[in-house]
Amino acid sequence: MNIKLVGTIAQTLRLLLPALIPSWRFFDVIAPSPRIEFTLLETAHDIPTAWQEFRPRPAELSAREMLKRLFWNPRWNESLFLVSCAERLMANPTEHSSAEIFTRIGAELNQNPTDVKLPPYLQFRLVFLDRQNAEIHKRTTYTSPVQRYSEITSS
Amino acid sequence: MSLDFAIRLTEILLGLAFIQQSIEHLWASRGEQRLFLPRLILSISLVLGFQTQWTSLALVLLGLFILKRFQGPYNGGSDRMSLLILCCLCLTLFIPTQTAQELVFGYLALQLVLSYFISGWVKISNPEWRNGQALDDVLRYSAYPASESFRPLADRTRLIWTMSWAVMLFELLFPLTLYAQPLLIMGLITAAAFHFANACLFGLNRFFWIWLAAYPSILWLQYRIFGVV
Repeated sequence: MNIKLVGTIAQTLRLLLPALIPSWRFFDVIAPSPRIEFTLLETAHDIPTAWQEFRPRPAELSAREMLKRLFWNPRWNESLFLVSCAERLMANPTEHSSAEIFTRIGAELNQNPTDVKLPPYLQFRLVFLDRQNAEIHKRTTYTSPVQRYSEITSS
Repeated sequence: MSLDFAIRLTEILLGLAFIQQSIEHLWASRGEQRLFLPRLILSISLVLGFQTQWTSLALVLLGLFILKRFQGPYNGGSDRMSLLILCCLCLTLFIPTQTAQELVFGYLALQLVLSYFISGWVKISNPEWRNGQALDDVLRYSAYPASESFRPLADRTRLIWTMSWAVMLFELLFPLTLYAQPLLIMGLITAAAFHFANACLFGLNRFFWIWLAAYPSILWLQYRIFGVV
């Protein structure tokens, strides 16, 4: 058996272990909370000026919509996965977390239903919100490299 | 509740929860579809009771590929509970002796109790949970509220404090419901209502369905240890 395969199996079992012996420490401390913001650029060398939040939550949710989400909630669950990726990117940076965020923003932009041609380059950043005394503070902890999102392929 | 009936009920509830989870991935990338379409088919097979031993084993193997694909759980605690129930179910179906089956299924029930008790314990150990500040923070700036309209709830200090203590006390006292079956049923209905509220407020719909799938194990364990009091 080659070493790479053994490594993959060991890593997968390492990921499985917290499921078999869970810690169940839900919300024990309220950690700084990430938001993903992105900007679109005309060239790879443009300086970003306007950032927008990726998938801001809706202003209102009707009771009917909440009930529907009990059965069908893929966008929100994907957004929660991206929150995990943002946290992982800060705690233990990997290409995987960064690529997941890029790919999913890029995939959404590529589905742009309007005829307006969007700038071809994408950059995202992670902004963490935290309470210090009574005030909520925002700080940018990570800014990604610029990438052409039309070249992003989802896997 | 007999062990066989509890196992069958777990198969059905787990299968239904997996069907719900899998369908959510069918409109995602092709890579995800390749993992979740087979999972959907296997889950239907589990609900129908077709070759449940091998179906659950196939679901465990597929679960490992899914873990690798996302480099961890896709949906945090709900995916971990999914894998825990699935692994316990699979082991129970393969183990030949009833004593060992009971130990594995009992482990699942114990973990369900701990999922509430430890959550309550870590909260009550934190002064920010005891004074309501932690829940205030969750509502005010965390990524979880499913709508902006839920954030102003943080300004209702007395309500937030009451909700914090209600959650902590319920979670801490949950193990006591094992004393009698009617008490346990009331505890599980309250727990399901808690997960339902979390699904509505924070969009945690998968937690609701998957925690329900672990309930047969605790109903069986209560009967096995205490009988009907």
